[in-house]
Amino acid sequence: MSGKEFFVNRYEQLSWKFEDAKPRQAIRINTTNAKGKNLEERLQTSGVQLDKVPFLETGYWVRNSKVTVGATAEYLLGLYSIQEAASQIPATLFTDFKDKTVLDACAAPGGKTVQLADLMSNTGALVALDVKKQRLVALVNHLERCQVTNAVVYNLDARQASRLKLKFDRILLDVPCSGNFAADGYWFERRTLADVERNAKLQREMLAEAAACLRSDGEIVYSTCSLEPEENEVNIDWAIKHLNLQVEEVDCYGQKGLTKVFGSQLDGSVACCRRIWPAETQGFFVCKLKKLVSKR
Amino acid sequence: MKAIKDFAFQCGAKLSLNSEFILNKNGRYFLVNKNLRGYIQKDFYYVGTYLGKVKKRKFFPSFNLLAILARGDANKIVVDKRAAWLFICGRDIFRRGILTVRGSLKKSDHTLVINEFGECLGFGKIACRLDEKAKKTEVAVKNISDVGDFLRREA
Repeated sequence: MSGKEFFVNRYEQLSWKFEDAKPRQAIRINTTNAKGKNLEERLQTSGVQLDKVPFLETGYWVRNSKVTVGATAEYLLGLYSIQEAASQIPATLFTDFKDKTVLDACAAPGGKTVQLADLMSNTGALVALDVKKQRLVALVNHLERCQVTNAVVYNLDARQASRLKLKFDRILLDVPCSGNFAADGYWFERRTLADVERNAKLQREMLAEAAACLRSDGEIVYSTCSLEPEENEVNIDWAIKHLNLQVEEVDCYGQKGLTKVFGSQLDGSVACCRRIWPAETQGFFVCKLKKLVSKR
Repeated sequence: MKAIKDFAFQCGAKLSLNSEFILNKNGRYFLVNKNLRGYIQKDFYYVGTYLGKVKKRKFFPSFNLLAILARGDANKIVVDKRAAWLFICGRDIFRRGILTVRGSLKKSDHTLVINEFGECLGFGKIACRLDEKAKKTEVAVKNISDVGDFLRREA
């Protein structure tokens, strides 16, 4: 169960007609560092033309550039980061950050970690985990470049986060996933349904651990760059039924989450998730969860 | 801690550091704030503000430390746009690229390299007395470390 035809047929069953997509390169301004620095003007002077991403406050698409946007002085000084537009959404969905204890459970290579620190204005504490030690190098380079001061990094599997014996107000769970064809030219040749199912299981384990580390009034934002419902809506449906979590309404770019998947009916609240089919952005899925408060 | 203070001194800056807030992990130094302390366990990989590392008895400052020093009274040269670009590409600074000098002019001292926006791009070693009439094409500051290193590290 693999190949382009197999997956495209699945997408059609989910009411999306396959079209090839080429996501636009995007940047995100690090507001803490770029404050008062006329960054847009500076980039324009260097030959970088930007278009504001309509659904992001600090995100811009690179329309045209005479220079490599990942090699300008402004980039090296941490005034902005290169971050795909859809992947800028998850961190913006939390309600507030000031002085909070935040967990980025699958942090490397660190684009969203830096975004979280920026949204936190370097207040509170940001705990960043990644299971692969070699990926921590990119993460800490990112933290140093962007002058993040409120993070502590551990080489730890997200499924073992409770070892830290900490409770978190906010948890970003940008889980490892199967990816999507818009971000990987060989995706259809590489992926099988068995990969998707294996990833979905790993993601459920991470969701369960995150729920266990969450404060009673805390929030989890779950995201993937997978288009496969097993890793997205089906997992959220499972979390609602098994982890005492509820889906929160979010006001962001994307279509409503699917509530009917290959003949199975999911909980109606799964519609509050957001699914982004590839076009100007890559494919993406995002969902905000809260602990269900028992009514007496 | 001594290595950090010595480096600051070489750059003409005085740095007061509270040892309570400095952590040393395998020769890598981190500055942490009060808030973060409760979240640090002994097996941390990185925390707070990275200040630099000691390797083979030599101190390698981080760009965060250079930025901290640049906010104070360290030796600085402000360079023009072209010199700034060449510097972050790993090149030395020629006399003609220097707009202003603050602090030491002395050969062999360390100086921070600042762009026209006041941002610290790295540091270098003064190669000739900066107040002497020198050829415009003469190297004035030898590049020791520049922010282009973030790209070279991942290459």
